[in-house]
Amino acid sequence: MKRWIGVVLAAVLAGVAVVAVVTGNEEDDRPELTVARGVIGSEKKPFFDDARVRAAFAEHGLRVEVDTAGSRQMVTDVDLGRYAFAFPSSVPAAERIKQDRGASVTYAPFYSPMAVATFEPIAGLLEKLGVLRNSGSGYPIFDIAKYLEIVAKGTRWDNIPDNSDYPARKRVLLTTTDVRTSNSAAMYLSMIGYVANGDDVISSDEQIAKIAPILAPAVLDQGFSETESEEAFENYLVQGSGKTPMTVVYEAQYLSHVFTGDGRIRPEMRLVYPSPTVLSKHTLVPLSAPGSRVGELLTKDPELQSLAAQYGFRTSDPKAFADLVARTKAPAATALVDVVEPPTWERLDRLITAIDSTRP
Amino acid sequence: MSRVMSPVMSPVMSPVMKGTALLSALLLVAACGSAGEPADGPDVLRVLAGSEIKDLEPLLRRAESETGVRVRLTYTGTLDGAEQVASGRADGQQDAVWFSANRYLSLIDGAQARLSTQTKIMISPVVLGLKPAKASELGWDTKPVTWAGIAEAARQGRFSFGMTNPASSNSGFSALVGVAAALSDADGALSADQVSSVTPRLKEFFSAQRLTAGSSGWLADAYARDPRVDGMVNYESVLLGAREPLTIVYPADGVVSADYPLTLLASAPEGKKALYGKLADWLRTPAVQKEIMTGTHRRPIVAGVPPDPRFGSAQLIELPFPNRRSTADELIATYLNQVRVPAEAAFVLDTSGSMQGDRIAALRQALVALTGADTSASGAFSRFRNRESVTMMPFDDAPGSPVPFTVPERDPAPVLGEIRRFAEGLEAAGGTAIYDSLKAAYDRPVAPGHYGSIVLMTDGENTDGSDYAAFEAHYRSLPEERRHTPTFVVLFGESDAEEMRRVAELTGGAVFDARSTSLAEAFKEIRGYQ
Repeated sequence: MKRWIGVVLAAVLAGVAVVAVVTGNEEDDRPELTVARGVIGSEKKPFFDDARVRAAFAEHGLRVEVDTAGSRQMVTDVDLGRYAFAFPSSVPAAERIKQDRGASVTYAPFYSPMAVATFEPIAGLLEKLGVLRNSGSGYPIFDIAKYLEIVAKGTRWDNIPDNSDYPARKRVLLTTTDVRTSNSAAMYLSMIGYVANGDDVISSDEQIAKIAPILAPAVLDQGFSETESEEAFENYLVQGSGKTPMTVVYEAQYLSHVFTGDGRIRPEMRLVYPSPTVLSKHTLVPLSAPGSRVGELLTKDPELQSLAAQYGFRTSDPKAFADLVARTKAPAATALVDVVEPPTWERLDRLITAIDSTRP
Repeated sequence: MSRVMSPVMSPVMSPVMKGTALLSALLLVAACGSAGEPADGPDVLRVLAGSEIKDLEPLLRRAESETGVRVRLTYTGTLDGAEQVASGRADGQQDAVWFSANRYLSLIDGAQARLSTQTKIMISPVVLGLKPAKASELGWDTKPVTWAGIAEAARQGRFSFGMTNPASSNSGFSALVGVAAALSDADGALSADQVSSVTPRLKEFFSAQRLTAGSSGWLADAYARDPRVDGMVNYESVLLGAREPLTIVYPADGVVSADYPLTLLASAPEGKKALYGKLADWLRTPAVQKEIMTGTHRRPIVAGVPPDPRFGSAQLIELPFPNRRSTADELIATYLNQVRVPAEAAFVLDTSGSMQGDRIAALRQALVALTGADTSASGAFSRFRNRESVTMMPFDDAPGSPVPFTVPERDPAPVLGEIRRFAEGLEAAGGTAIYDSLKAAYDRPVAPGHYGSIVLMTDGENTDGSDYAAFEAHYRSLPEERRHTPTFVVLFGESDAEEMRRVAELTGGAVFDARSTSLAEAFKEIRGYQ
């Protein structure tokens, strides 16, 4: 919405405002447009709400409307019969929906690595703890193995020596979304699970039983967590380090604000990369013909691919992303080294259940 | 919070609250609650809401002219609303929900599936507001203080405060969660087990509570009436909007904030989703955000709106919130049964001849529900609490003899059973001596260390004994201490609404209308105020 206003404002200044706005709206509401309503991960909502994205779809006779839900909710809770497509944020969730709904194809128009968003005084403390360090490849890494040690010790912020910057009586814990509903938390679980499993993708029930108690504090002790990733990121942006000293995000959530320069990323904010990290491959499952069309356009239409890059997503054209990073001096890792695969949907699901049942 | 109360409460409050922003909002609710409320239509977004957002009604009327979305608000209590949504009872009746927070709702099994897109609109932390002189006496206006420090001062009786009932109102619930998290040794989210270990420290803190209420707005009003109370635990927005300025204390170890998510229900039809999107976008435009901030003192959620300097520059640490419903429920039950100042509730009940038939049956049922028969979460929390004194004062031609019950600290079942048998034995006959009976209730002393209140239920006009004027004269002659007991009146049948309003106004109570709902609903609602 804000971006749209920006566009309008720019147009007003250029003296062509009214015409642009009116036609824009008319185009959007044109009766001949086919409506395709999808259910998407919340982090993609700003992209779908963008007037330029809507105009690009309208060019092809489509009006795309979206509701948001946690990617895992799409599998378990959402009545998908009401939608033309589901657009979860990971392959495991998409594969599961594809299987449940008997879809024949999926579309993966863009992806985003999982990252950690934090703040300056906190980043310094994390360095002190040995959790944060330079990767040697030009970007800071968040060492998951070291982090799990800190979690096991139960370190609190106010226990860190010489810390007058953030003396909160809270545990040093990453804030995530609710692992039961949201993909970004499930991706987080994939990363910490990989490390707890001796640097290996979880592949058996024995492994799950062994690591669930180790992972439980990192998942459950943070307390209430948001259902959807955009809400969690909004807490970070709005309420700052008091509420969310460090949080698991999609890289795109952070970078989209850097790329547009909308002022939401303030100077003290930091983007760092977990090691290992997981790539979240946003994957669209068509549930009807207009849904397939949305998937095709997102994958093939140059305009939509370019807009996706502006929203911080990495597309099939790495240059688009790299150019934006270079132009905005974004703190992004152009090439990530330590990337692991998430477990299958079923294994992840069993791990979540096992973690959940470690507490009454 | 108050479904039953909202339509009628405002006229009662108007003389008291004159001049506050809150008042005008409440009055407006009254205006559209009964007659002017839009029926459903293609441009109407039906929203189930907490009473906290009443003060946005003027803004929502502007939304209608600027976005074409007409908002129809139906108010409900926090737990009650959460249950309506989670059970699916709101599906098809409402298109969206708007409470001060979705946290409790999200913890209920099955609730997630009922919710679709959530859009946070504004923020307000729950903090302590004190009279400036008291804040400076305690030194809290200049140096930082933690919840532990506040609890220590409370234990020493150095200040007193009011707070809403955590089972009825989100501000009380947030405060309870925050205080428990801060006072416990837990450094992560509280578990149900840890609730019992923090209970002694909670008792110290809440020993200083002198006022309770079913809603944040009513609390602010009751506080303004009662010079003995030094402050309130309430939303920052309510504290900033108070008529007499308050010094706001932001505890250094953290707070729990409300973020007011406007939330689409998954069941909403296509057309309503579009209305929802329009409204949510509009509410987050910088101009509207700025207006929310200046008009209601809540913090904006979008960038680009410079925050009001009155919010202060202190970093607010957010305390962890439980992630299990069992913990939240355990905390509320512990507060009600063990921690809070126990209630002393007198029920002055009309059992005159006009109550025969359905009416007396409804009264019996409403009272029986409060003995634990209502097993919904909101019902379970409204039952007569452990350590509570309950006095039944049925009347007809003349006041009957009071029948007292005291629910013990442990094993409440036998006494609850006695109250149930008493209620089931109520019979209707004779005349209606309202004011002699109410006088009798005020003539009984309140036990020290209890929070006294009176419920007056009548279905008709006064036919025997003193009239209203005589009661008013009697009330005004009572010792100061006694006059602090509010009377919550229940409109039922042919009761004299105007006279009942005067009773509520005189005593600092409120009016609950059981004519449009039921006696059971009204009684349950009142429990939040006792």
